Amino acid sequence: MDLFVVSRSHSAAYHPDRRHALWLSTVLLCFSLTAPAQQTSQRGDTRAPFSTRATHLLGFANARDNGTGTLSVQGDSLQFQQNGRPGTEVKIASVRDVFLGAESKQVGGLPMTLGKTAAPFGGGRVVSVFAHKKYDTLTLQYVDADQGIHGAIFQLAKGQGELAKSELIARGVIVSSHQDQSTKESVTEATHENR
Amino acid sequence: MKTGKCNLSIACLIALVAIVFAVPGQLFGQTAAAESSAGDRTSATRWSVQVDQVESGNVDLAYSFQIAIYENLVVELNKTKQFQQVFRDGDVTVSEAPNVLVLKTTAEKYTPGSETRRAVTTVSGATKLTVRSQLLTREGKVVLERTVNGDVRFFGSNLRATHNLARNIAKTITQSSWSSSGQPTTTVTGQL
Repeated sequence: MDLFVVSRSHSAAYHPDRRHALWLSTVLLCFSLTAPAQQTSQRGDTRAPFSTRATHLLGFANARDNGTGTLSVQGDSLQFQQNGRPGTEVKIASVRDVFLGAESKQVGGLPMTLGKTAAPFGGGRVVSVFAHKKYDTLTLQYVDADQGIHGAIFQLAKGQGELAKSELIARGVIVSSHQDQSTKESVTEATHENR
Repeated sequence: MKTGKCNLSIACLIALVAIVFAVPGQLFGQTAAAESSAGDRTSATRWSVQVDQVESGNVDLAYSFQIAIYENLVVELNKTKQFQQVFRDGDVTVSEAPNVLVLKTTAEKYTPGSETRRAVTTVSGATKLTVRSQLLTREGKVVLERTVNGDVRFFGSNLRATHNLARNIAKTITQSSWSSSGQPTTTVTGQL
């Protein structure tokens, strides 16, 4: 009797574990088989679109010069959507080169400039010492349907230029061996401003 | 006495009316003459121009500046209406155009400025650019060669120097003796 009880309890304890292990290994095998397929689909068109605020300085398709808007990389095109205007785009495949730069600019535009000029006792000059901001410049070289070379320059918030460039490189843009000017220009600006 | 004054007033009025009618007529005549001379010039040979990319030469010119000069040149040359067509560098359709000149631009001198320094000191921090512009025929014959400057001294960003430079180059081409003759026979060299 005792033997029977023991053997029964053994079989009850052993078989469900084996079944669970088998089920678990099957599930794991399925996951491992489907995982590469999932990765492949992520590498395709489902890449998250990149977008950042930018000022178009010149040259991009039909965008207005010095217009502020959103620069985005979506699918196979680089788009610039100005506030309240239809967006313009350039195919990423037509982009031949990307360069980064840095600029230090006075903030406030024309109203601020006029205000500083009108300020008595040179007060405007004191304001100018502090009223400047550093930006990244993203310079693109692309070709049109007739293979004519175009250039476009965007002004982005500091740090965004590198992200935009990385995004374009990730989407297949080949960057030439030209050295980016960002570090060099920053040094020049700093030297000038320290003098 | 009163009749004399009245006659004088009438005479003045007639003279005034005559002047008013005569001056626009004269102006119209001048405009027509100018248009006809322009027409004669255009009927000679309309040239097209291909703008080559800016070469930095021995100057450490930022790439954004090179691109900005190139783009501004295309815009400014289109504005002058001097050329039948303005082609970009690399454009394959340029081979179909009959009379094409090539505009080559090489940087000679570049002084990087600072907008903050300009705003604070007014007298320093200017961005200065000097380039050599050459207008060549397809065969490589130099038609026009000039050294042109462009700078920003007081207001505006550093890139504004490229706009001023491109405008100066376009102005140089428009005012050159080659431009008035309409034929690429003489070589004009100088500095603006």
